[in-house]
Amino acid sequence: MKKIGIKGLLLVALFLGVWFGFSQINWMKAFRVEQVGSKVSKELGDLYWKYFKGQDEEVCDSTVVQHVDSLLNRICTANGIDTATIKLHILSDSAINAFSLPDGHLVIYTGLLNVTRSDAQLCGVLCHEIAHLEKGHAMKKLIKEIGLASLLSNATGGNGDFMIKSIRTLTSTAYDRNLERKADAQAVQYMTKAGIDPDGLAQLLEQLDQLQASGIQIPTWISTHPDNAERIGAIRTLAKKRT
Amino acid sequence: MNNPTHRFDQINESDREKASNSYLMSVIFITFALPLPIVNLIATFVFGVANRRSSNFVKWHCTQALLSQFSLFVINSVAFAWTVLLLFHVFTISNGFIGYVLTIIAFNIWEFLATVIAAIQTRKGVHYRWFFYGDLTDALQKPTP
Repeated sequence: MKKIGIKGLLLVALFLGVWFGFSQINWMKAFRVEQVGSKVSKELGDLYWKYFKGQDEEVCDSTVVQHVDSLLNRICTANGIDTATIKLHILSDSAINAFSLPDGHLVIYTGLLNVTRSDAQLCGVLCHEIAHLEKGHAMKKLIKEIGLASLLSNATGGNGDFMIKSIRTLTSTAYDRNLERKADAQAVQYMTKAGIDPDGLAQLLEQLDQLQASGIQIPTWISTHPDNAERIGAIRTLAKKRT
Repeated sequence: MNNPTHRFDQINESDREKASNSYLMSVIFITFALPLPIVNLIATFVFGVANRRSSNFVKWHCTQALLSQFSLFVINSVAFAWTVLLLFHVFTISNGFIGYVLTIIAFNIWEFLATVIAAIQTRKGVHYRWFFYGDLTDALQKPTP
């Protein structure tokens, strides 16, 4: 029986040894996995941005742009994020929405800017969307909802159905609860590091909740996200831990 | 690999054919099994059960084939589950994953060739034993009088 055990262990050791050996080779580089991914991401990002740019007018008012840009720079510098990787776009649209697109496009509607009451609240939105960008959530969501094959075949110019489905995915459908929680947790971390009160994000969510309850307007950014009260609680708990 | 220490008396033509077929089962069914790693294991198991009243020679080789298929089932199932988790973004693709896939491809090819050789040898009436699996089969498959 001992002989069988030794032989069995030798086979297991052989298997693990071969696996370990193969794992030492940089297959990701050899197969250009990351390069192919970033190329598709760039093409899709440009495709979607072109679509949104055609739908709404981009805000060129230097005061507004400079203000949001300065907040973005502050967050990125404090968190070691290369600002060149984030392409900030402010669109003139009354919808209360902000979303991230592949290849670092961060889109904010003036409707959302108008309801923010402080820089901390605006930073909450920015940090949440930067977290989605940094963690590649937009691409993950698209692959899950649309499928990798469809994304690859439409990356250089999507047909009508593909565009409608993917735009709906990016703007109207919530990320799954797990991704939202991760983005919130990361946002709290970004805000704390940048010296911004992370409660701003919780305050904004509360404010949007009240707007929704009063029936004045349905704020898209909040209505598409799950379990708001739970999110606010989680953000405040994390903020307390960090401070 | 071949260490003919275990001897059987009176291996007739039918026994040779059945013993050889126990290996061929897994080779044939691996074609269907590629997406699902359990099909060839089930095929070998069913063949073994069907021949449970056969001679010791046939039962011994059915058991050796089944044990080797079980090992493959375990490592292939890990790869299958890992791939599914990648598709659902629980994990991201890594050198470790690609290394694992290449390792199981190598082991599957090795197993495939060993199985074909075992099928040929047993058809000739040779008691073909594999490293580790031969000993394990001896321990599990006691000869009946």
